[in-house]
Amino acid sequence: MTAALATDPAIRIIGLSKRFGDRVVLDDVSFEVAAGEVVAILGASGAGKTTLFRCVTRLAQSDGGQIFLGEHAIRTLGGRQLSMARSEIGLIFQQFNLIRRLSALDNVLVGRLGEVPTWRVMLRRFPHPDRQLALAALDRVGMLPYALQRADRLSGGQQQRVAIARALAQQSRFVLADEPVASLDPESAKSVLSILRDIARERMIAVLVSLHQVEFAIQFADRVIGLRAGRMIADRAAAAFAEADHRMIFAT
Amino acid sequence: MRSGDAGVSYPDPARSWIGVAPVRFVATLLLVLLVYGFSFYFVDFDVGRLWSGLPKLAHWAAKAWPPDTSELGVLIERAIETVAMAVVGTTIGVVIAAPCCIVAAQNITPSRLLYTPMRWFLNTLRGIDSFIFALLFVAAVGLGPFAGVLGIGLHSAGTIAKLWSEAIEAAEPGPLEAAALTGANRLKVISYALLPDVLPNLTSITLYVWEFNVRSSTVLGVVGAGGIGQELKNSVDLLDFARLFTIILIILAMVTVIDQFSAWLRRKLV
Repeated sequence: MTAALATDPAIRIIGLSKRFGDRVVLDDVSFEVAAGEVVAILGASGAGKTTLFRCVTRLAQSDGGQIFLGEHAIRTLGGRQLSMARSEIGLIFQQFNLIRRLSALDNVLVGRLGEVPTWRVMLRRFPHPDRQLALAALDRVGMLPYALQRADRLSGGQQQRVAIARALAQQSRFVLADEPVASLDPESAKSVLSILRDIARERMIAVLVSLHQVEFAIQFADRVIGLRAGRMIADRAAAAFAEADHRMIFAT
Repeated sequence: MRSGDAGVSYPDPARSWIGVAPVRFVATLLLVLLVYGFSFYFVDFDVGRLWSGLPKLAHWAAKAWPPDTSELGVLIERAIETVAMAVVGTTIGVVIAAPCCIVAAQNITPSRLLYTPMRWFLNTLRGIDSFIFALLFVAAVGLGPFAGVLGIGLHSAGTIAKLWSEAIEAAEPGPLEAAALTGANRLKVISYALLPDVLPNLTSITLYVWEFNVRSSTVLGVVGAGGIGQELKNSVDLLDFARLFTIILIILAMVTVIDQFSAWLRRKLV
């Protein structure tokens, strides 16, 4: 029984579909991500990766299927419950989405906004434990020496590491990263992806990451899901991912 | 025949000898001439009258020298009053504009239903000049700078809120979305993620409006709403051109100093 609980998937997507007018963007997509697991979604642009992420965070409502993040049934939540569920999701974006004029530390503290009282946020007086949490998160991604640097003075790779620290400070159980390394050079990309993989292991976070480079997916993910024109055409252990899958996903 | 490097000759895009372009040019020219014709007709433009009025102007100019500095102290006090009116009036504008600009900015408005009426309200405030507001307030609260301050405040509220909401709409949406998705409420997102991004811009806009208000405060005295304009009107009424000249010099000096100071401050912000 305990064994069954331990392998209970953290993210569960069942028969998800989404249309924009007549165009089917997601067609019967089903997969699971376990706690501590990194799952990569591979697909050409337009394959439906971003739409999938938007459905999981409910920035878009899907047309059918079910989405579970832990105990939250995302598709049917509303108002207060939805924002509680969202506060457990750490989001990593291609463009980092840091507040440019604030320091790295202040950006990591964004991860605490959901918990800290409004008046404290407005006066920028975060409680000691929250500041400690943010500093620890910065330390974990190797950005502690840059804590007081303005975000727009950091390189792309450094900014993305600050964004990961923001998700850590948020104490997310789920991390969704939509093309997190698409604007980074290969070296920074590798360091960002290895941090993502390591924090998944350490903190039992379920990480769903979309990529378009096959070699990164194979190197850093536990499982790879292939998406093509909104349909899942592969779901394999990264080690078993084959050249044939690659060709199928990116065939034109 | 000339050809490109690879020996290929590129045909020019087909163009008829007399195409749409000349016709459109002639039509535009006619329209512009029509607008000018009507405009000059309506303003009774008459060089002859200017010509016959010139000696009168020259006569006054001669009488304006030397400028009358006997009341310099009072006039400078009035100039300071003018700047003070702009400071208080702009502040009233800021206080009214702050809540309004949130409703009038598409990306953070709490209600799409309120957005359009708020835009209309702000356009109305902006459309009515401080001068006209001051005229009404002089009737309501009596002569003096207080009426002028209220006039400036209402008109500035419209201008500031409109410019602020545009600056807010130009803010990067990504960081706001990222902050909102952590479960933070609207107030937290606005104060923590939006404000640091747009604050330099908002301050710069406020300074610009203040600078503008110093200039518009100088004429408010004409309707009895305080400031140096009141002295200016008195001098014109009494045909006291030496005193008038002093007042104009003071206004010039004041506006130049304020403009330079405000421009310097705005440069430092960005």
